[in-house]
Amino acid sequence: MASSNKKINKKDIGKLLNEWSQEFTVFVPSRETGTATMAKWDGKDTSFLDWYRNTVVSPKANILPPMEEMFHFQKDKEGYHIELPPLDGHKQLIFGIRPCDANALAILDMTFNDSYEDPYYLSKRNNTILIGLGCTNPYDSCFCTSLGSSPTDATNVDLMLTDIGDEFLIEAITDKGKELMANISLAEEATEADEAKAKEAREAAYNKVTRQLDIKNIDEKLLASFDNQDYWEKIAAKCISCGICTLLCPTCYCFDINDELLKGQGARFRSLDSCSFPVYTKMPMENPRLEKWRRVRNKVCHKYEFYPMNFDVIACTGCGRCIRLCPVNWDITQTLDIVPAKA
Amino acid sequence: MKDGNIEQKLQSEAKALLESGKVDYIIGFEAGSLKFTTTPLITNNIADIDRLVINPFIVNNLSVYLTEVKGRVGIVVKGCDSRSIVTLIQDKQVAREDVVILGVPCPGIIDLSKVERLVGKDRDELDDITRDGDRVVITVDGNETEFPTAEVLFDNCLGCEFPTPKEYDVLLDEFSPLVAGKAASQESLEKLKGMTPEQRWEFWKNEFSRCIRCYACRNICPACFCERCFVEESEPQWISPVPRWQDNLMFQIIRNIHVAGRCTDCGECERACPVNIPLRSLTKEMYDIVDDLFGFKAGMDKEAAPLLTAYALEEAEDFIR
Repeated sequence: MASSNKKINKKDIGKLLNEWSQEFTVFVPSRETGTATMAKWDGKDTSFLDWYRNTVVSPKANILPPMEEMFHFQKDKEGYHIELPPLDGHKQLIFGIRPCDANALAILDMTFNDSYEDPYYLSKRNNTILIGLGCTNPYDSCFCTSLGSSPTDATNVDLMLTDIGDEFLIEAITDKGKELMANISLAEEATEADEAKAKEAREAAYNKVTRQLDIKNIDEKLLASFDNQDYWEKIAAKCISCGICTLLCPTCYCFDINDELLKGQGARFRSLDSCSFPVYTKMPMENPRLEKWRRVRNKVCHKYEFYPMNFDVIACTGCGRCIRLCPVNWDITQTLDIVPAKA
Repeated sequence: MKDGNIEQKLQSEAKALLESGKVDYIIGFEAGSLKFTTTPLITNNIADIDRLVINPFIVNNLSVYLTEVKGRVGIVVKGCDSRSIVTLIQDKQVAREDVVILGVPCPGIIDLSKVERLVGKDRDELDDITRDGDRVVITVDGNETEFPTAEVLFDNCLGCEFPTPKEYDVLLDEFSPLVAGKAASQESLEKLKGMTPEQRWEFWKNEFSRCIRCYACRNICPACFCERCFVEESEPQWISPVPRWQDNLMFQIIRNIHVAGRCTDCGECERACPVNIPLRSLTKEMYDIVDDLFGFKAGMDKEAAPLLTAYALEEAEDFIR
């Protein structure tokens, strides 16, 4: 049976991105700013195909930006006049999102598209096309396979690309993806041999993920260990309470809201916040997470205990950024490895 | 002495300190969970002591934990870290009698980012990195390549003036010689100084545009010991919590002024930064300015008054008297 998938030569990726640029603002992995992010396609540079493993700043930033104006206002004798900015609904296409980061967006959707539908998030999310690119060279900090995923998992993208040598195999996952695939001028039909190569590539990538985490009953173990202060103090000892792991985590979404007013004019902003910071929970009378171990506990439990309780899914996709980027090598897989089975 | 022998000596000293009750905690390094990393080990358990390591990857300045760990502490320090402890003593954040300083004469620490640039591979793709004096051998896909050690050390290590701890209770090895790399250590700074003010402004604007305000630079820094940082003040609000480049830059400039006279050029702020902002170019310039203006180097003498926070009745200027 002929495959319904297509393929494209790697040297044609630049042309493909230019085709897509007609309709979308195209984002690709880039190091232009001095660190790896998803940046606007410049119309020519495809060198990321050689160096890209994953970005430091995840594509979460394209949907839930580090800072965002919610509305602006003016103050006069009659009071405040609020003006809502037009919701950012431009069509964007993120090329090369990794499965872990695409899965993370599906996890964020559960919070932002719940009983409260967040217009800022959803206006961007609903106008975003995700072109997944399977990993061929996962980091030693990656552990997606322990969370039921894989380096070539296509579940949460529109179109999936798998490296089969000189070409990428293209699979359409969603209706939007099917429509896109039908219109790629440079794509050819994939053959059975291409499918076989893709299968091999998927297996090879899967086996390259060496970091393992046993998540069996992890939420129950964490629940049982919630009051085990000794365990949490030990786990938290070396943490410096910076915001790297949370701010760069593709599933962390906490934000802070601030009004800025100057000479009768102002705006309300929201910007990412982190539960690692003591001020995160500061209240007039007290701070329930003044001690570091309570903050570390919250971070771990939010992902592996509370999110499963609320949405039946672990809010971690094993992207490994929190391990890779931590300046003291605090490692969540080690933390979870030694959660006491009983408190 | 070889790293292995220093390790043995360290482990027996640390064990003796815990056993005798001279300290409540040991703060040192153990092997990290990623290739070529170490991670802080903070323990009161003698059984953990065998895990202590000394190798060319002991990056952290562990003195950052001193204001937090309760009780008496035995702590492993390199030259720059020992000076951080001295500044903490000068600022009365730490009492000398509460710390037992286990000094490591430091031949310089390997900067994995430099190794990555040199061989064109990420750190987890390398088989091995070994140092033998002034040569480093990097093994990739089974092939060994030799480089001068100076090419892979952190910039601050290349310019290190005091590799052997100034203040210690136990010195774990012979005095360490200086690494010859003064010029290389100042390279990025000199490049900035060669720019016009407009170019420099543009440079920092770009750098601070990607700051995510994680405060790792502040939290990893032993000189940033304030219980309440100015960025967290809301009345007045000195800095907006919204991470615009202007506020990011102001935060860093103020932080830099606050650590003047305390910064020992340990380089941890720059190393910790997840988005590669060259923060040491700011802190090292301040370090040099402090030296030029006041003839003062941080953390050299625990009896000396701190540079900018001491007050005397005989002050020359009226406004302060």
